[in-house]
Amino acid sequence: MLSIKNLQVRVEDKTILKGLNLEVKPGEVHAIMGPNGSGKSTLGYTLSGRPGYEVEGGSVTIDGADLLELEAEDRARAGLFLAFQYPVEIPGVSNMEFLKAALDAQHKAQDKEPMSSRDFLQAARAACKQVNLPAEFLKRGVNEGFSGGEKKRNEIMQMLMLQPKICILDETDSGLDIDALQVVANGVNSQRSPERSFIVVTHYQRLLDYIKPDFVHVLSDGKIVKSGDSSLALELEQQGYAWLQDQPAPAGEE
Amino acid sequence: MTNWLSSAAQRGEAIHDWLAPRRQASLRLLQESQWPTRKTEAWKYVPINVWERAELSTAVASNIEAEPIEGLNSFDIVIRDGQLQADTLAAAWPEGLQVLPLASAEAARLDWAQATFAQVKPERHLFGLVNDVLATDGLIIDVADGARIERPLRIVNIVNGGSEAHARVLVRVGSGAKVSIVEHYVGNQLSQSTGFAEYSIGTDAELEHYRFALQSGEAMHIGGSHFDLAERATLTSNLVAFGSRLSRVDMDINHKGEGAKALLNAIYLLDGKELFDLHSNIEHAVANGTSEENVRGIVADNSRAVFNGRIHIHRHAQKTLAELNNRNLLLSDRAEINTKPELEIYADDVRCAHGATVAEIDKKAMYYLQSRGIEREQAQIMLNFGFINELVDDMPNAVLAEWLRPQLRQRFAAMEVK
Repeated sequence: MLSIKNLQVRVEDKTILKGLNLEVKPGEVHAIMGPNGSGKSTLGYTLSGRPGYEVEGGSVTIDGADLLELEAEDRARAGLFLAFQYPVEIPGVSNMEFLKAALDAQHKAQDKEPMSSRDFLQAARAACKQVNLPAEFLKRGVNEGFSGGEKKRNEIMQMLMLQPKICILDETDSGLDIDALQVVANGVNSQRSPERSFIVVTHYQRLLDYIKPDFVHVLSDGKIVKSGDSSLALELEQQGYAWLQDQPAPAGEE
Repeated sequence: MTNWLSSAAQRGEAIHDWLAPRRQASLRLLQESQWPTRKTEAWKYVPINVWERAELSTAVASNIEAEPIEGLNSFDIVIRDGQLQADTLAAAWPEGLQVLPLASAEAARLDWAQATFAQVKPERHLFGLVNDVLATDGLIIDVADGARIERPLRIVNIVNGGSEAHARVLVRVGSGAKVSIVEHYVGNQLSQSTGFAEYSIGTDAELEHYRFALQSGEAMHIGGSHFDLAERATLTSNLVAFGSRLSRVDMDINHKGEGAKALLNAIYLLDGKELFDLHSNIEHAVANGTSEENVRGIVADNSRAVFNGRIHIHRHAQKTLAELNNRNLLLSDRAEINTKPELEIYADDVRCAHGATVAEIDKKAMYYLQSRGIEREQAQIMLNFGFINELVDDMPNAVLAEWLRPQLRQRFAAMEVK
């Protein structure tokens, strides 16, 4: 589904990702953990096409197609979704208008009929309810004046509506209390299916108690230095990231 | 004086209608006036010489029709090339509403009209003087004390290519009366027009006002809407302007009675080489007045916007609340905004706030929208709308707001971020 090979990314003058490899197959949940500054967010931004993230080498394909060639909007239409660590506030554009425009654009790209206003509203209300966001939030400006937790839940709400094939959650757990964490995790878990994959980027093991990953990868200095099953997350929780310093890269990675 | 001004004054001298005695003072001021230069503060950023150089004989003819606005259920009155189209006057008006051609014998008998003419607008606006001297036609609207007029009045002011046109509107809103008036200006070919409207809003009266300055292309227009507010009068004014080769609107709000409330929301959207100049002036001459002014502009390509917002709080205007903000979105490096809030406060117990900002398109917001599958062009339109939506939503008449949206969308679709 998503194949990342030897990805190298520069932001301004600094190379952040230095040869990252990751294979994500349909239905899999991959957790990417690592210390601050290891390149976790860079991965999400690069995959979603944020301007300023220069790919210096490597490749990324989605269902065999070159992802990096696509504009940000076309990546979304190909089924990629990034839940932002810092969702952007857009005053004056209502959440509802935003969501409808996004959904219409994606449906159009997929040659589907646009959703009727009535069906849309019904689905949007249900999605809000699922993440415990009052339906009034649909009328407010996109993320405008939302609390940190509300912004994160709004991201998951969008994910529920857009039904992407591959979801990248960029530190969606940061700044959430335990209740909100559960709401977010339940939202994600409800979407797990044999066709849909997740990349859960997080600093803490806590989220992985609720979203159980199939694979855990440790990102350090722009490379994945260790991969394992969910027990690796617990190991990291106990030992911290300091031991990574002396860890050689696993075989097969540069 | 230049040729254009002296010709205007000469033409004015030859007019002998019922307003001629009222025009005398303006005529004298006009005769003393100089053509503005770049050093003339009031015209500093406006290349006013294009007005004088315009050769109307070379203009492309046009014949714009006045289309009704669906669902508005308005009385539509058409002024074409400065001439009131008498056949657009209703056969019967609701009780309490009187609408007359400016050039009519009945109008000449109205004392309030005599007393209002050239008294609400500022004395020394050069093109206001031109209009004083040359506007022989237009409209007189009188809303009787206590009358509540449900249907909006829409004045469609059409100026076709090649025309020079000067129209005047005088409005009295009686005590406790309520009315909604739309001044709708259109024209896109080379033309020169002035359009001034003077409103006298009575005690406890309410005026809902719109000025749609939608001239575009080569149409040159200079005009203004000017309001006197009596005690506890309420004014809600909404200006929407597209730029053209030369376009300037002055909005003056005079608090003459205590406790009056004024809200002015203005939007200007410019593209290409368009120009738009908005001068607003709020005079708080008496105590306990409130004014709020929200001005938003989006300027693209090579266009230029000028905003000069003056608030003058006189010595006795204690307990005045006055707010003014001007926010601009700049879509290109070559577009230009000259914004200047001017506060003159001579009372000590007032609350007054002002601010002006100029910003570029938010790239993070753009990326966020794109990351959800919305293409760049549409994201741009959405962000432009986001910038002004609040003021469109704020319009008291939802039909007008909905009528505007597709036109704004069309404008935004043509604008590019450079």
